[in-house]
Amino acid sequence: MLNRTVTIAVMLFALLNAPMAQEDDVNESWLTRSGYYRVSYLSRLDPLTINRIHDWVIHIESADGAPVDGAIVSVTGGMPKHNHGLPTDPRMTQSLGNGDYVLEGMRFHMNGYWELTVTVDAGGRRDTVIIPLTI
Amino acid sequence: MTPGRRKTILAFAVVALTASAWWQFGPRTPAEWTDPDLIVLHSLSLERLPALPPDPTNTVADNPRAANFGHQLFFDTRLSANRAVSCATCHQPERRFSDGIPKGRGIGLSGRNTRSVVGTAYSPWLYWDGRKDSQWAQALSPLEDPAEHGGNRMQYVRFISTDPEYRAQYEELFGPLPDFSDTSRFPDAAAPLEEPTINTAWLEMTDEDRHSVNRTYANIGKAIAAYERLIMPGPSRFDAYVTALLSDDEKASQAILTDEEILGLQLFIDEARCTECHNGPLFTNNEFHNTGILSFPGELPDRGRIDGLKKVLADPFNCLGEFSDDPDKNCAELTYVRSGVELIGATRTPSLRNLGGTAPYSHKGQNETLADLLDLYNRAPLAMIGHSEAEVELGLSRRELKQLEAFLNALDAPLATSEEWLRAP
Repeated sequence: MLNRTVTIAVMLFALLNAPMAQEDDVNESWLTRSGYYRVSYLSRLDPLTINRIHDWVIHIESADGAPVDGAIVSVTGGMPKHNHGLPTDPRMTQSLGNGDYVLEGMRFHMNGYWELTVTVDAGGRRDTVIIPLTI
Repeated sequence: MTPGRRKTILAFAVVALTASAWWQFGPRTPAEWTDPDLIVLHSLSLERLPALPPDPTNTVADNPRAANFGHQLFFDTRLSANRAVSCATCHQPERRFSDGIPKGRGIGLSGRNTRSVVGTAYSPWLYWDGRKDSQWAQALSPLEDPAEHGGNRMQYVRFISTDPEYRAQYEELFGPLPDFSDTSRFPDAAAPLEEPTINTAWLEMTDEDRHSVNRTYANIGKAIAAYERLIMPGPSRFDAYVTALLSDDEKASQAILTDEEILGLQLFIDEARCTECHNGPLFTNNEFHNTGILSFPGELPDRGRIDGLKKVLADPFNCLGEFSDDPDKNCAELTYVRSGVELIGATRTPSLRNLGGTAPYSHKGQNETLADLLDLYNRAPLAMIGHSEAEVELGLSRRELKQLEAFLNALDAPLATSEEWLRAP
């Protein structure tokens, strides 16, 4: 019984104190399809939970690791299994410099597997990557 | 019949009866919850309901005097064309702020099923189609709906300004009322409504006068919203069950829910896929989904959110409008609202707390009982318009549907709002 209590306590601690998204690791990044950019993100809602609108910071680097400024970043997304998109229409609102961009209006309305399509357009080079995310 | 044959038939009958008795009455210990299950259960419990976020669009949202004023307005039938309809006519506290009929009935028959007020302070959208984005903006709409209160904003602001008690309460909260006594500037009835006389009277007013009427009218909504913010769900047997489970008190947890309810809960979070939309402590994501609900008999299918979206964007009382009290116009939900074909025929997920008091169900009250609604989702018909997100048959047995229903009824509980707010002042 003690074991079970400890397990539950640990699980709840993890739920309350750590990002719920399994892929939500600040160190993780994804290379765009044609290999032009490396994309990572940071949710300003931490832990990342459903039903709350919030902002993300998207970080863009070139393939060799230099921050990319002056890009236009757009994000769409959805749950492939459920054939629906994001419940909001998030938009890039600010460029913070050092390859960081503020994305406002993120919200997820279901737990489960999501895919986010990030499109980066900088200096006439447009490239896309799909970021997997489980909430 | 030979004795041997009779014996065989008897033996078959005994086996069949025993099997059927076992199926009906036999012990079926609900399976153990896994740790991920427990996390889902905890996420649904009222204990996880966050503190009510502030409403910066309404400066009196958390003002007790505004709640008191709003409480009086909510129950006052003088706020209607025939002095017989109040907010509480359809939002009846004893029915969990709903009305028990398919479509709301005020002066006439409303277009949709009356949604409960309980917990709506948490929702970014109001109404089945989300055509309003705050409780105060919502509260203004039925007052002018010809089928509901049937009045007009000019009538209401004049009423507040001429009733000494209301006038005093209003001015204490919002400052001096404009002088509406000059009927050449402020006619008896005026509002931007379809009714031509009332609409013409409104259009003939000056911009400035219309603005002062709108400002006063918005404040009436803000007082009503301050009252509605207090209407919250209370902990149900489900919540007590989760608390017992998480404190590892198996005995207590078994005494709280029946086996049937526990089996229903297992289906709810798993096979029946309910938590895809009915998630979080209020059992709703407050989002818009087309789930293939059939149209009301004899009516075209409801277009739902696709029309509600246009209305909320055009609403002068929305978060971005001039009557919102938020100087920063920090309106993320409205600013980043989505459009698209998915919204055709989509309606807002209702909370599943307190369903017992709020039948019939769905946006037009098409489903008389929970059993009807569960049966529909189990069969998963194609959407009449748009695309259903729930078009995969669930394949649940009749017994499983009963279990789901049993679980849903375990979400009934007295409201967390104190008694004096649940009756007329």
